[in-house]
Amino acid sequence: MSKFKTKGKHATQVNTSALPDIVFLLLFFFMMSATIRPKPSPLAIQEPRAQALTQAERRELIRELQIGPRPGRTSSVIMADAKVLKVEEVASWVIEQRNTLPENLQPQMIVLIRADEYVDMGLISDVQQELRKSNARKVLYRALKGPQNSQMGD
Amino acid sequence: MKSNAEAPSVNSGSMADIAFLLLIFFLVTTTISQEEGLTLKLPPEPEQLQSQKMHDRNVFKILINSQNQFLIEGEAASNLTGLNERLKAFILNRGHDPNLSDTPEKAIISIKTSRGTDYKFFIAVLDEAKGAYYDIYAQNVGLTSSQYRQLDSSKPSENAQYQKGKEGIPMNISIAEPEKVGS
Repeated sequence: MSKFKTKGKHATQVNTSALPDIVFLLLFFFMMSATIRPKPSPLAIQEPRAQALTQAERRELIRELQIGPRPGRTSSVIMADAKVLKVEEVASWVIEQRNTLPENLQPQMIVLIRADEYVDMGLISDVQQELRKSNARKVLYRALKGPQNSQMGD
Repeated sequence: MKSNAEAPSVNSGSMADIAFLLLIFFLVTTTISQEEGLTLKLPPEPEQLQSQKMHDRNVFKILINSQNQFLIEGEAASNLTGLNERLKAFILNRGHDPNLSDTPEKAIISIKTSRGTDYKFFIAVLDEAKGAYYDIYAQNVGLTSSQYRQLDSSKPSENAQYQKGKEGIPMNISIAEPEKVGS
């Protein structure tokens, strides 16, 4: 009787303990290389700059309206989900969007206005009137962080 | 007792699953690119609105014409420097100066634009007005303005601070309908 066991024929096993690391590395690579960017807007919108910005608390409550000129044009149009809306159509758009929210959240819907800095206030206020009519009164004016007075003099 | 001739090995095959679970958890909980901007609550429909007579001293009027010139409390101005301080003095006057507000509750900042005003000038004024209020709120709880704006009202401790800061000082910013004439 020998004291030492003779090595039996074990099936060779691949060490898989590094597999999670490989998975992690792959995931990080894809997360870094993927650009998190909203769909490119068909309108040429340069958002105004402001300082006292706040964040919307709940992202799922936000519905976006874009107001700005088409590239190369001067007259502004209202767009929502890549569709051009007339001012009168904003109210029905609000109702449509509100119905996509769960019932208890419907009154809290926030309309995000992403408008170009040179849009006339006349158009903005027409939209505001429509929003008031359809009782979508929470508005978030999208702005970028930055010194507001930089181009004030022109 | 077994003899420990062979080193015990822990089965690490499910490590990948744990890693995945963790990653999915973080992916779901992190919010990507929050939408930042200036919030405003619009007044109700014009028909439901009851017109109230406001004492002139309680309304801080800012007008912007279609040439993007400002008229702040009756004085023409070409830029907004010093408006923040004036607004804070107006809101927190508490009856001292007869030309400024009675109480912070009654104080209203009225922004009126003309149809031809550029949007960015409206945003600039709205920014000043909101900034003045946030400065006051932040001062009440001993934070900086940007710290105050980042308070998360869904957390009880931060919500308490948030509510304490704005106690008794409602953010009364009124957006009057733009003038039809002169656009």
